[in-house]
Amino acid sequence: MLTLLFRMSATTETPSLARLATREVLLRKRRGWFFGMTGDQFVKYVFQGNAAVSIIVLGLITFTIFKDAVGFIPMNHANLAVYRLAGLEYVDLYREQVTAHSTMSRYLAGIRARQLDILMQKEGLAPAAAMARLAAYDGFANSFADTINEQETLLGTMTDLVTAVKERQTVAQDLAVAKKNLLGAMSGATPERAVELQQQADAIQIEVIDYQAEIKPLLALRPEIAATNASQMTAMKEILGQAPKFADAELNRRMEKFQGFVQGYFNEAAVVAEKMAAWDQTKPVGRLEAFNAFAFGRKWITASFWQDWYGIIPLLTGSLLIAFLALLLALPLGVAAAIYVNQVARPMEQKILKPYIEFIAAIPSVVLGFFGIAMLGETLRRLSQLPALDWVPGFPMAERLNATTAACLLALMAIPTIFSLAEDAINNVPRSFKEASFALGATRLQTIIHIIVPAALSGIMAAMLLGFGRVVGETMVVLLCAGNRIQTPDLSAGLGVIFQPVHTMTGIIAQEMGEVVRNSIHYRALFMVGAVLFLISLLVNWLAQKIVRRYRISIG
Amino acid sequence: MTESVAPSAAPRPLAVAPVAAASPAARAAIEIDDVDFHYGASKALHDITLNIPERQVTAFIGPSGCGKSTLLRCLNRMNDLIDGARVSAGRIRIDGVNIFDPRVDVIELRKRVGMVFQKSNPFPKSIYENITYGLRIQGQKTKARLDEVVEHSLRGAALWDEVKDRLHESALGLSGGQQQRVCIARAIAVEPEIILMDEPCSALDPIATAKVEELIHGLKKQFTIVIVTHNMQQAARCSDRTAFFYLGKLIEYADTRTIFMNPANPQTEAYVSGRFG
Repeated sequence: MLTLLFRMSATTETPSLARLATREVLLRKRRGWFFGMTGDQFVKYVFQGNAAVSIIVLGLITFTIFKDAVGFIPMNHANLAVYRLAGLEYVDLYREQVTAHSTMSRYLAGIRARQLDILMQKEGLAPAAAMARLAAYDGFANSFADTINEQETLLGTMTDLVTAVKERQTVAQDLAVAKKNLLGAMSGATPERAVELQQQADAIQIEVIDYQAEIKPLLALRPEIAATNASQMTAMKEILGQAPKFADAELNRRMEKFQGFVQGYFNEAAVVAEKMAAWDQTKPVGRLEAFNAFAFGRKWITASFWQDWYGIIPLLTGSLLIAFLALLLALPLGVAAAIYVNQVARPMEQKILKPYIEFIAAIPSVVLGFFGIAMLGETLRRLSQLPALDWVPGFPMAERLNATTAACLLALMAIPTIFSLAEDAINNVPRSFKEASFALGATRLQTIIHIIVPAALSGIMAAMLLGFGRVVGETMVVLLCAGNRIQTPDLSAGLGVIFQPVHTMTGIIAQEMGEVVRNSIHYRALFMVGAVLFLISLLVNWLAQKIVRRYRISIG
Repeated sequence: MTESVAPSAAPRPLAVAPVAAASPAARAAIEIDDVDFHYGASKALHDITLNIPERQVTAFIGPSGCGKSTLLRCLNRMNDLIDGARVSAGRIRIDGVNIFDPRVDVIELRKRVGMVFQKSNPFPKSIYENITYGLRIQGQKTKARLDEVVEHSLRGAALWDEVKDRLHESALGLSGGQQQRVCIARAIAVEPEIILMDEPCSALDPIATAKVEELIHGLKKQFTIVIVTHNMQQAARCSDRTAFFYLGKLIEYADTRTIFMNPANPQTEAYVSGRFG
């Protein structure tokens, strides 16, 4: 009634305006104060500007990352060239032989430990008495270990020789950089200052190293190396003739295996000698080699006195190992939760569960990492020490912080992503499919397994991929909880590999970027790692989008 | 299917199926007694009582929102899937058993009471997998048996000749009318006693509609059919008995001939002659 009254009064009280002709009205488009734009145009340009800013920023970021990353290749090329020219490569060849020998000595130590075990546990000897019984064996092992002494001395001499050359090279390189900086500063300086800078730059004397000459003393050691190898071989054969026999069959088997190792060592020494003879200082390092050393390199060693290696393999495998583990945990949990919430839960439960699961995404990752160090790592290690769980590969865990600790937390972070997207996908399955299935006498479980999940499968795949992207890119948790040991996971441990500490691509950037010299090779190497991460994320997102698009079409 | 009713594609005046009127002595397949139905607080069905005879086609007609689909979906308890929906009074008995009895296994009920929906809804699988779905979830794995059922069901749904060469292609690639017949074949593959059809032709063109109607006529030799339709001509053409609903109440239920030629209730008369609805 009131509204009616109001309406009536409104119509009666509005003064009637003189009505304009259509022709006049049509030509009265209003121009605003702002550069003569209409309101609509203005709004359009504001939005357009915002969109353009984000696109430009993304483009700039991509450009910067790749520009700095690409610079790594020539620098690593130079790095590898010095490695060859200064003879480090040559020395490393010889080092392989010495390392192989010490591996055998460690194997002997293993046999000794086993013997001690047997003596003390089976024969019940006191430690001192057991040690006494091992005296003969110790004599054998020690004389075996001593056969490498001459080689080690030689290796030391060689190392000192090339290190001296390398140091001079480093100094020369640093001076060259300093000179370049001085000259670079001249362009903006006052004339007096420029003259001063020029003088300083001229004062810098950069040594030009004649690698061919420097390497001569190193190569002069060749006859000596051959002689020591020959004498070592005779000595080892003689010692091997005195190899002790054991009462225990297992120990004898090990000893036989050891003799096999010694044969292998002789072969290896021959191969090394061949390689050293064939080594050519002047052979140029290919561009591709500089790239391969990154893409397939198994060592990431920085700031070393000897040689820096920037190989992504340990970081990449670490990242992938953690990501796959996390996905393995998060995928069933996320998808099952999505199925439950969408298909089984009552509306009341839905209202509680959905925001609750999505809330996990709101936990700051550093808090999760903190929790991982303080609680999860410790709990997992205690669990792994239970005698009842000895059958699990990798138990008991050697390290509290390892790939699994990080993966558990990352799984928690990926669950909301996977859950939300999978729930969306399941929700998009037409209700009529479900009804048709029920009407044919299918149970709820059959309907979910045979109808709902297959129909939502591409959506679930996309959820999985985006979850993977989330996990690969995550930094804080892996930095805190993955153990940060730069080493390619050792697959010989079988499934136990998941309990090894690893380092990741994201972790290494966060950890080292703050300490590197700008534009140094290390800095560029980190950008390379960043570029690889970027490409992985790009690929994952692109795949996910492609799958989702196909899925929309198939459901119609 | 061969003894078709008449070429029914073209709209014709309200002609009633020339088959013999249902004999009142036919056994009741479904007995609905005093059923009340609620969606939450609102009452959708008021005190419905009717018996649906065996091996005949019974049509539910009435304007939108009159409760005919609701009643249909009570018959295989599809309403269980809707939150807050419940039968608040009365019983529905199939073969003498009240289907709302807590001891009733709703899965078994739905195996015996098949359903075809308004919008054709084949699964996004092959035609073969669509037809065999009902049997497979019951554990039937024998290939020969499945092949036999596929052929039998598709022949039953008058679709065999059209699709026999592409059984393993997606059912979504078929036309709308073919898809709806796949759904009918899928329903008869599990050998139900009763088939419920919820406006099966509302999304089909006249030619496809004619085919489905012809099919319904053939199917009633084997199945008890309950069909909800908006199309009065369709009810007149293919049903033996017709129930008219209005505002959640059963207004009139009789032989189709009586409903259309000589309705007892003036509301029915007004509806069937097209004065409202």
